[in-house]
Amino acid sequence: MATKMEELASEPAWTPVKLRAPQRSGLEERFAATDPTLELSRHPLVARILKNRKFQFLLILPNQIVFWTVISIGLAGTVDPGLNFGTAITWYVWFCLVFVMMVVVGRAWCAMCPFGGFAEWVQRRALFRRTQKALGLGLKFPEPLARFGFVLPVASFLILTWIEEFFNIAGPGTPAYTSWMVVGIVSAALLFFLVFERRTFCRYVCPLTTLIGTVGSVGSVAGFRTRDRDVCLSCKTKDCMRGSEDGYGCPWYTWPGSADSNLYCGLCSECYKSCPEGNVGLFLQKPLTSVIAPRRRRIDVAWGIALLWGLVLYQQFNATSAFAPVDNWLNSTLHFPHYPDPVDYLGFIAIGASIVAAVSWAVGRGFASRAVGFVRTGHFLDRSSRFRAFFAPVAYGLIPVVGADYFARQLPKFLQSAPRVVPAIEHIFGFSSTKSSLYSFSLMTNGWIVVTQVAVVLLGTAAAAWATWKIAGRELVPVSRNAIGVRVATVTFALACGAAAAFLYVLMHAAD
Amino acid sequence: MTAVDSPVLEPFAGRPVVTVLTDRCAGCQECIIRCPTGALTMDAARWVAAADSSMCVGCRQCVRTCPFSAITVDGPLQVAERVELEPRHPHVLRGDLSEIRPGFTTWREVLAEAERCLQCPDPTCAKGCPAHNDIPGFIGALRDGDAAGAQRILRRTTVLPDICSRVCDQSSQCEGACSWSLAGGVPVSIGRLERFVAETAPVAPPARHDGRRAAAAGMSIAIVGSGPAGIGAAWSLVEAGAEVTVFEKDATPGGLLGWGIPDFTLPAAVADRPWRQLQEAGVDLRCGVDVRPEDVEILLADHDAVILAHGATQPLRLPVPGNDLEGVTDATTFLHGARAALEQGGDPAAFLSRLGLADPAANAGRPVPRVLVLGAGNTAMDVARTARRLGLDALCVDWLDERFALVRPDELAESRHEGVEVRFSRTVTRLAGDGRVVRAELARTAQPRRDRLPKVLGGDPEVVDIDLVVMAMGYRGDPAFAPTLPGTPVRRTAAGLPDRRWTASGIMANAASAYAHHNPVGTLALGRETGLDAATLPVLDRVWVAGDALVGPSTVVEAMTQGRRAAESVIAGRPSRPGRPRQRVPRRVLVCYESQGGTTARAAEAIAASASAAGHRVRVLPIGRVGLAELAAADLIVVGTWVEGLVVAGVRPAKAMRAWLDGLPRLGGKAVAVFCTFAVAPKGALPAMRRTFEARGAVVVAQAAFGPRERRASGTFGPTAFGSELLQRAWPGERVAALVE
Ligand code: SF4
Ligand code: SF4
Ligand code: SF4
Ligand code: SF4
Ligand code: SF4
Ligand code: SF4
Repeated sequence: MATKMEELASEPAWTPVKLRAPQRSGLEERFAATDPTLELSRHPLVARILKNRKFQFLLILPNQIVFWTVISIGLAGTVDPGLNFGTAITWYVWFCLVFVMMVVVGRAWCAMCPFGGFAEWVQRRALFRRTQKALGLGLKFPEPLARFGFVLPVASFLILTWIEEFFNIAGPGTPAYTSWMVVGIVSAALLFFLVFERRTFCRYVCPLTTLIGTVGSVGSVAGFRTRDRDVCLSCKTKDCMRGSEDGYGCPWYTWPGSADSNLYCGLCSECYKSCPEGNVGLFLQKPLTSVIAPRRRRIDVAWGIALLWGLVLYQQFNATSAFAPVDNWLNSTLHFPHYPDPVDYLGFIAIGASIVAAVSWAVGRGFASRAVGFVRTGHFLDRSSRFRAFFAPVAYGLIPVVGADYFARQLPKFLQSAPRVVPAIEHIFGFSSTKSSLYSFSLMTNGWIVVTQVAVVLLGTAAAAWATWKIAGRELVPVSRNAIGVRVATVTFALACGAAAAFLYVLMHAAD
Repeated sequence: MTAVDSPVLEPFAGRPVVTVLTDRCAGCQECIIRCPTGALTMDAARWVAAADSSMCVGCRQCVRTCPFSAITVDGPLQVAERVELEPRHPHVLRGDLSEIRPGFTTWREVLAEAERCLQCPDPTCAKGCPAHNDIPGFIGALRDGDAAGAQRILRRTTVLPDICSRVCDQSSQCEGACSWSLAGGVPVSIGRLERFVAETAPVAPPARHDGRRAAAAGMSIAIVGSGPAGIGAAWSLVEAGAEVTVFEKDATPGGLLGWGIPDFTLPAAVADRPWRQLQEAGVDLRCGVDVRPEDVEILLADHDAVILAHGATQPLRLPVPGNDLEGVTDATTFLHGARAALEQGGDPAAFLSRLGLADPAANAGRPVPRVLVLGAGNTAMDVARTARRLGLDALCVDWLDERFALVRPDELAESRHEGVEVRFSRTVTRLAGDGRVVRAELARTAQPRRDRLPKVLGGDPEVVDIDLVVMAMGYRGDPAFAPTLPGTPVRRTAAGLPDRRWTASGIMANAASAYAHHNPVGTLALGRETGLDAATLPVLDRVWVAGDALVGPSTVVEAMTQGRRAAESVIAGRPSRPGRPRQRVPRRVLVCYESQGGTTARAAEAIAASASAAGHRVRVLPIGRVGLAELAAADLIVVGTWVEGLVVAGVRPAKAMRAWLDGLPRLGGKAVAVFCTFAVAPKGALPAMRRTFEARGAVVVAQAAFGPRERRASGTFGPTAFGSELLQRAWPGERVAALVE
């Protein structure tokens, strides 16, 4: 049988092609720790499902139906948020489930997301078929913005959360507001999908993407990865990036050949379909691998985590009785008419993020050995400094506790009100009211909810402490004077963060 | 051709700055392995590309190549100015046939131009050249001062470098696709460098490999037509040791090279060179023999294969009122006559009076007769410039927009310089005169986009006085051959997604620069590729078609390459005329399948394994990866599918298979076997596939349907047994001992 190389050589168009050899050195060190070993797609049934072009479509379809139902019932249905299907399903169930999915799987939500899913159907002019010509302008996302990476979506998340608090959308409040918010997101998605190429929206704009990506990295689905990295390096076509007849090029700008975490893989399975060598698989990994193992610590992700940490602390704090006086005082001083005051909102987030930064700085100051050199030139993502060398690993180590905190925040709504979805569905058909027994049925009493919340946070704290211990051992010890000291200091910080969050939950009394 | 708008304002002003967008860079190294200067490396710790701007020359190959648009380059192109040579402008045009375009004459010029080449690791120029000449290779040899080495490199892909370098439209081929052009700048003068090689180290005559070990020993091939495609085919075949007979309907060989391209573009001594050498190498050339479609059968009785390269020489005629008036002729007639008239000892006056024109030389003071040339492509320019050399005035009109004109840009400039009036966005709506044409009415046209045909606008027609009309809109194939050669002319448009190796090179990323007239070089090159592939597939059993006869009017280099491809396909396929003993050699078997759950794929593998065990060279591919090239490189094609449909309503091959079958080309005489896998009953699936192949001229040698029982049981009739059976059927009595490679 003629080998592929023989064929290539015998084709005149390729003889003048004398590509440089790709660089292999450093490959092993860079990726070995991140490579998952358990391949789900070895199972023939999984393989068949993933190869099928309808795979993602069938994931999106149910969500799409629910989502348009939410929009229309939110607008046309009852104004009682507890009885309106739109608000009930969105805030009592959906938001909580998204967190469960994140923690277990990673970007599972992204694979079935109706926002991006809908916009992508339009962009591709197809529900599931592989089409060759995209609708829209297909522009590249402007470089000056793109270089802030995952910080941009955090900004949009902060804005959206502020709007959500302002209108009390997730309270839940007036159902129509929920509809308008969803319509707003899908319009933005559509706009971005039609102006820019691939899933630019999902990488740079979507308010949820940084949260899902970072929290998801505790999950045990590694995503789609290469089976043999050497095959990818010498691959002449890179169909997984450029697209082939069978699949699109990666919409998330991820190359299975260099994926080192599940942070950027939207689990869409396109690379699995398009790789002509069958060199892509869907892999499982040990929990926390994508937090601990990646050698490249991204500063945008680190800042993203710090800001998200600030936000969740703010949300916890504003559910305690100490918050209202502060907000009212600020509003009257600044003549801002409405809760939440933007200054304390942003101030709190800034303080939360700054604490992470300040502690990292102090740890660096106290422990860094003097012999390490840093790159001071380049853009935001490319510089390095002593601060960054400590800040990024410390922030990554906090991921489990930040994730647990967000998850615990959703528990009261779910545990107190999830059963309302049933009367809400019944209400669509005209029977059932707030008098329905399920309407006021809680899955747990408030006392138990607090216990659950604290337990979740403590579990996250333990995971964070362990991750920090590992990360510090791998990355901070080599640049520090005192190996034990730096590990103890960083782990203590992770524990302190967890303790603070747990304490706030006790103060909150299961308020949502 | 001097003033062009390209971003090269001043050479070496400022430096390019490369920025890797490390947020998105996936470290795939596509840019790194293609950067000509080594300005890019890997940052191993982060696994992203790292750029050293001080080494960058701004060619932007990396930008065109990056799949994730993760790298940008700003700043000027760091390239010296192209060494331009002014075309010769004869003082007295009349009767002057000497070559207009100069070549490089000194090594100084050559080296200066060769230095501009970046020696790209993935040279887009080579994809833009229809012959896929190793352009960086030969330019590299020139840089070493090794013209003979350069010639050897060119010789691997072309036998007409002296001719192609003169007549190619480089701006839509190699030079348009040069990295500098794709980056918006002025391309390397590839054509002129190639010409210098051909002049300094002339093409050696065909090296005939005689003896029984030669690849085509004992084969006898007939070629119809002695133009570029015929030359390319004859050259390869004679070198491989075949007996070659070429039939030419004209009195002299060369086809279009002889009469179609005037001496001032292609001197006769250059045009005649290939046939001098071919005849010396023993090619049996029979001029004055017009082979008609019905004669192909007769040729097949005496020859192992026939390559039809009779060209496309029927001039197109514009269907306007008055096109049958006296004084309306076509480019073929005009150029044939003019060549004879302007030759040494020819009689221009007689030729002119045959056309009904007075000789302006003998009628000083009287108005000079004016020729209206319909069209402004290269043929039209040849006609108009020849007319100028006969002392006539010439006006060319073309309905295309000048931006999208089909003419070589330098040729257009030269023509205008020689006093040819060229008007674009005009079309003739009426020719008028009393018996003889004296007037033409022109309407304006509008063509906003390259890929749209122009629209004729209303308004008062413009009237021009003329004395002769020459239709020079181009040529088409001989309609008499159409029924014999189904599927021709082949359309040169590539369907579907381009091969990712083409995308990776960056040739598809954008069009050529202003210097190369914004030609969509990638699309054009890919389209030509379908023509080259089509030439490798026989249209009928033992009959190949190449050149203009296959694809309609094309360039010399394209026709030559098609001829070479057809010849290679003949040599590899080893057809034999009735009565000639077959050779015993391993055959190339292609097993292709459409599988869903993997059952059909497994059956295909089993068939392939038994063919492979019999000593044949076997490839197994899903149909999605089988293109013309794969089909051409197979002696036996085994096609298998799963079936769909209900037993009562009729069972058919799977949808993807049906679509693939619909897109199949002619497979003249190819041996084909079909099989399917089924759960309940195969019903009409196999006959349907069979009919498709037979309609395309293939010979179906075997068929089989594998149900659940056959697939499971060993010993009964299963894919393995089918595999060995079909080999017997395809090549009865042939036994391959072992793979002798
Ligand atoms: S995943 Fe497949 S297509 Fe992508 S680089 Fe690797 S081998 Fe090539
Ligand atoms: S194409 Fe592959 S790597 Fe990219 S998002 Fe989809 S599954 Fe993940
Ligand atoms: S512009 Fe050309 S020379 Fe510069 S880095 Fe890119 S490929 Fe290399
Ligand atoms: S081609 Fe693009 S993604 Fe790949 S290494 Fe270069 S800049 Fe990075
Ligand atoms: S044959 Fe023509 S297209 Fe090819 S390199 Fe020579 S001049 Fe260019
Ligand atoms: S001729 Fe142009 S494209 Fe070809 S190798 Fe040289 S610089 Fe590159």
